[in-house]
Amino acid sequence: MRITLLLAASACLAAAVLVHLSALEGRLLRADPNVVPGNAALMGFALGRGEGLFEAHCAACHGTGGQGDPGRGIPTLSDGDWLYGTGSVSDIEQVVKYGIRSYHPKSWNLAIMPAYATPQPSARDGKIPPLSPANIRDLVEFLIREQGRGAGGAAAVRGAALFAGAGGCFDCHAADAKGDSAIGAPNLTDGITLYGDGSRESLWMSIAYGRHGLCPAWVGRISPAGMREVALFVYSLSHAHGPAAGAVSRAAASGAE
Amino acid sequence: MMSSRRSFVLMSGGALAGLLMAGYSLFTARGTSTLIVPPDDVALVNQQPISRSDYLQQLQTLYGVDLPHATAAQRRKVLDDMIREELFVQRGKELDVASTDPDVRAAMVNAVELEIAADAITAQPSEAQLRAYYALHRARYASEGIMTLRDYVFPASGSAAAAEAAETLKSAPATPALLARWQARDSGKVSDEEFYFAAKIHLGESLFEAARGLPDGGVSAPIVRADAIHVLYMVKNEKPVPFDFAAARDRVLTDFRNEAIGHLRSGDEVFLRKRANVVIADDVR
Repeated sequence: MRITLLLAASACLAAAVLVHLSALEGRLLRADPNVVPGNAALMGFALGRGEGLFEAHCAACHGTGGQGDPGRGIPTLSDGDWLYGTGSVSDIEQVVKYGIRSYHPKSWNLAIMPAYATPQPSARDGKIPPLSPANIRDLVEFLIREQGRGAGGAAAVRGAALFAGAGGCFDCHAADAKGDSAIGAPNLTDGITLYGDGSRESLWMSIAYGRHGLCPAWVGRISPAGMREVALFVYSLSHAHGPAAGAVSRAAASGAE
Repeated sequence: MMSSRRSFVLMSGGALAGLLMAGYSLFTARGTSTLIVPPDDVALVNQQPISRSDYLQQLQTLYGVDLPHATAAQRRKVLDDMIREELFVQRGKELDVASTDPDVRAAMVNAVELEIAADAITAQPSEAQLRAYYALHRARYASEGIMTLRDYVFPASGSAAAAEAAETLKSAPATPALLARWQARDSGKVSDEEFYFAAKIHLGESLFEAARGLPDGGVSAPIVRADAIHVLYMVKNEKPVPFDFAAARDRVLTDFRNEAIGHLRSGDEVFLRKRANVVIADDVR
């Protein structure tokens, strides 16, 4: 009899937990994603689950703490520098959902770095001409100058002309070389490099052979709530000491679970 | 008496819990007719969900506002547009527009191909797989060669001068006086350093093949063409250098994925053909 009672109580408890979790999920999904970081209860709930999902699906590339890997062109997620969008939860969620160059029709796929040391630098835009080795060296010197790491001299001046003219670089990276996060074109003046160490050699490699990393689309593979939880976890990595996430500790996260 | 009452209460409790769970599932599960809009959607149109995130994105795209800052009119307009779109898509399916409209057909083919590709890239290959792929296709991963070359052109009748030039250039550079004596000129086709692919375009395939093997300071034998004789002088030849795995990894990953996508696409096509009933007219078999 006692066992029956125990089983019934356990079933009721499990049902209550399920209903509670389901209700929290519902609240999380109905909330504006950008205001969730200000809600300690929801944020705590999401972070605990988001971290697990991140480790299962994203950490293989981004690392468990989102530290990235410049050697492989994998962005750091904890530095507050965003290549795509503004770093808001909704922007991060879009990337989690639809990916980057993921072949999903809604993925970010406008910016593809041409490979200027090939006969057809861009498969998409046949008008982009190849550059000569000297052209590429000039562009490298221009970038070094723009990052305040050297004067560059005449080569940088020629590089600037190429950047704004025949090279077509301005089209994605903007006339001031500060990039465009609306399409995922990186800022070339801030010294933050996605690929390599920012040396002349790694800049040469990027210009000569192009870059087009990708991030998978998780829509249909992770639940809608899960994708938001991952987005909130990623958001928390770069806002660990921010006002919104300050109220949320890992203890709260485990408590909510 | 007490025991049977307790049994009845427990049984009733169990039945009630079961009913509650079944009811909850019935009214929230996907694919069932329900009046409850799931939390990740903003509407159901004939049970087809309209995604909340798409709705928020549309609000942002059209009006540059998030949900709390959108006016009631903006919210209504976006939702109405999305419902209208869904209704028309559903009607399009009923009318089977794909059977007649080439644009719809092309879009559907493209969408299915994209879906297959998306499946392929979700699977992250291991480093061991990538290294094995790199080892198998190592020749693909090398830098583009760079050459600085002089292409001296002699008249078709100047074979003696060309032979003399080929010998002289091994030890001395071409001067304007020498060129004048040989009645030769620099074609200027590869005046500055150029990538191999560009030099190949400018020189033509056969001259490029003769040039690519020359060392720095090397001179080719006279190359007779229909209208002229060429002597090539290699100022500097930086031959393609194989990339190590770290340098090639980005391209290896792209090629690996493209190959996986190709395999999946052909696999899907085989599967679709296998399960399809395709009847072909006798005269086109």
